[in-house]
Order: sequence, then structure tokens, then C-alpha cells
Amino acid sequence: MPVYSLYMGCSVPANYPNYEAAMFKVAEALGMELNYLEDVACCGSPNLRSIDSFGWLLVNARTIAIAEKSGHDIVTPCNGCFGSLKDVLYHLKHHKDDLKKINVELEKMGLEFKGTINVRHIIEAMYTDIGIKEIKSKVTKPLDGVGIAIHYGCHLLRPVDVTEFKPEVLQEMVYATGATVIDYPLWKQCCGATVLPVNEQLAIRLARDKLKSMKESGAVFITVVCPACGNQLDLQQLGLKDSYGEVYDLPVLLYPQILALAMGMDEEDIGLSMNRVPADPILDHLSG
Amino acid sequence: MTETEEKTGPPVTLIDPIDMTKLDANFRRDISSMPNGEELSACFACSTCTAACPIANQWNYKPHQLIRMILLGMRDEVLSSKEIWECLTCFQCQERCPQNVRVTDIFFDCKNLAAEEGYVPENIIALAKSLVEKGQLYEIINDWEREDLGLEPEVPGLSIEGIQSILKGTRTHKLVEGDE
Repeated sequence: MPVYSLYMGCSVPANYPNYEAAMFKVAEALGMELNYLEDVACCGSPNLRSIDSFGWLLVNARTIAIAEKSGHDIVTPCNGCFGSLKDVLYHLKHHKDDLKKINVELEKMGLEFKGTINVRHIIEAMYTDIGIKEIKSKVTKPLDGVGIAIHYGCHLLRPVDVTEFKPEVLQEMVYATGATVIDYPLWKQCCGATVLPVNEQLAIRLARDKLKSMKESGAVFITVVCPACGNQLDLQQLGLKDSYGEVYDLPVLLYPQILALAMGMDEEDIGLSMNRVPADPILDHLSG
Repeated sequence: MTETEEKTGPPVTLIDPIDMTKLDANFRRDISSMPNGEELSACFACSTCTAACPIANQWNYKPHQLIRMILLGMRDEVLSSKEIWECLTCFQCQERCPQNVRVTDIFFDCKNLAAEEGYVPENIIALAKSLVEKGQLYEIINDWEREDLGLEPEVPGLSIEGIQSILKGTRTHKLVEGDE
């Protein structure tokens, strides 16, 4: 059984316990052992990198160094955490002078960054270590080909030399549930979550562009693998109803929720009622 | 087009002339010497980054102009701009740059310089404060939701002391302290 150090960050536990619960259910069914990483804190998000790149290196190098002690790869369900940790891993492997400075600080805490483990998104770990064939074999209630728009999230995809993530991974994972992936023009575009603290109107515009593009291309549901993107695309739909009078009715599901349903799991166990745009219509698309 | 048409002002394509006396020749060197600045001078201003940027249409300084401004030495204009803080960090500009300029990463470096000089939006300081004081940006409000799903009520594995101790002496710490 593959074993992982699970880094939760703060956004999933605070805002999306349904994502956390669904991830555990699915991981258990797939035979993955997820152990919470202890004695860690928030990755700082791109905001920390903006004001203090050295502090950001320190915080994330510390997390990686703690995980290195167990020898297992870090997995995380959050694109923000994934982006930060992966970026720091890449940086310290390519800038030996910074690595030295970081290790001087870490040594004071009895830690050392060695670069012996990898940082991975939980979805990629499922795809690579378990495999589509095995995942498909657990699907007992496949979806009826319903059209799902994937929002990957910027920090999962780019910069690709850092993230090493291919969009095909998530596409194949969606197809494995029996659903269809909808192509839409703005598939690469940002959801707007990162700009929320400095310009909310701009953030709303970006979410609106994205939702419009998905809806017009025939999407029935959206799937995301990031709490910040999920929050933005889900919650802003309520705001857009008030401010623009526009109704998108596009339920936003965290990918493990979709897989869990296709595996025949109970909607209550994956907190389906916590999704703000009612997500229960997906139950009508389950067969078997 | 008629030749008799009276000219009422400069063509709209012209912008205000750059005041050469205010240029800071060291600015490009500062950015180039930061970890992401290696390819900075390879920029040939093709503006592919601007074409890729989903919000450039509402920026006074477009991404390719910001890079040009760094190369020219327009330090104050870049570091005090709202644009660098509105950057979505979506990396589309960087992904498409034919010259491998790490555009998004360079904007991160600009924000670091801006922070050192005290230009940081208030809400970003508030986030830094939350990070230093609570070890997290988002806090659990409804712990019963977690318990309903069989999860532990607190943020799993969170240690505030660890992050506080590692951030001591950093710019983050100074920005947060200075705010108090």
C-alpha cells in the first residue's frame, strides 16, 4: 500500500471539509495511506511569496524537511499549497546558494532540507500510483456521459517546468467516472481567486468570464481540485445572481466527490450538501 | 483621410515622454540579479505576454510595458504600480514568452522590492498578520461541519510555534510588526 505525508494547508480544512472527507474515502477505497503531516502550518500562498520570498522559502522548506524525515512523498489537495511547495522544491534544487542559507536557518530547528522526496497533487498520485485501470474497476455507478467542465487551476498547470503536471491526468480521471469532458475556450483562464484581496470587482469579472465560457459550451457540472478555485467558482455564482441577475446553475464539485459517487458512496459521507450551488442534480446522472 | 484636417493634439498612440533624468540604471541590474531575472534582457517587446494576460485590458501598464520599464530603469513607476499587486500569478505570460523571460516570477521579485520600500496593499499585510499570529490564512468557523464528516475539529497538524519561530527576523515579521 503506497503511503503518503498529507499536507492539508488551511483552506481545505477551514472551507472545504467535504473535499477532505471525500479525498479520504476515495483514498481508502484505492488503498492509499494518507498520514497528516504534523507540526506544520500554512504555505503562505502566493501572497507570502509576493512580500517576502525568503520567508516563503523558509516556511515551505521547513514543511518539506519535516516530511523528509518519514521518507514519504507529500501529497496535497490544494493547488495553492501544491504550487508553493513545488515552487520551493524547484527553487532549492536549482539555487544552491539559497539552499545553503535556508539550511542554516533550518539547522537551528534540528531540520535539514535534502531534496529526497517529491511534492505531488493528490489527484496525480491517484492517477500515477493507482492507475486509471484500477480506478475504473472500482466504479460501480458510472456517470451517464454528463458534460463536466474541468477547471484545473493555474498553480496546478503552470509553470510546467515547476509543476510537472499534464492536463490529460485530470481529463482521464474524469472519463474514468463515466462522465464526458467539455472543451471550452477559456479552459486555461484563472478563476480570479488570487486577486480577491486587492480587487474584488476584478475577481468577480474573471469568475464570470469563466462560468460563461463553460455554460455556453454545454457544461452541466464543473470539477475543481483546489479549494480557492472551488470557492471562487461556487460562491461567485450566488453573487452574480444578485449583481448581474445571471443564473449559471453550474454545480462545482471537488473531483474526489465525483469519483466517490461513481464508486457508489453515500452523498452524506462526502458532504454534498455543503456545496453552495446545489450539487445533488448529479445524483440523477448516476447509473447502475 | 483628408490633408486639410486640422490637428487638435498628438496622436493617441503617443504616450507622455519618459523623463530620462529619473531613470535608475541600477533597477534592471537589481531585477536581473534576483533568482528569476536571468532572461530579463532577452525581452524583445513582442507583447505576447500582454496578449496572454486576461486582465491586461484594464491595466495602465501592460505586462510587456512593465518589463520594458524595468529595462529602462523606471523604478518608482514599477514599484509603486497597482499592476504588480493585481497580477493573478496565473503564469500564462510566462508560459507563452518566446524568449523564456520568467515574467510572472519577475513580478514576484518586483513585489518583494516594493515591499522592502513599503509599498504593500493593506489587505496583503492583514493576510501576513494572520499567517504570523495564527499560522493560517483561513480559520475554521464551523467545526461541527468537520465533525459531521468524521474529521477532527481543528486544522490537522497545525503548529503555530513552528511558523512563528521560522519567520522571526524575516521581512514578513517586520511588515507585520511595523503595522502594529
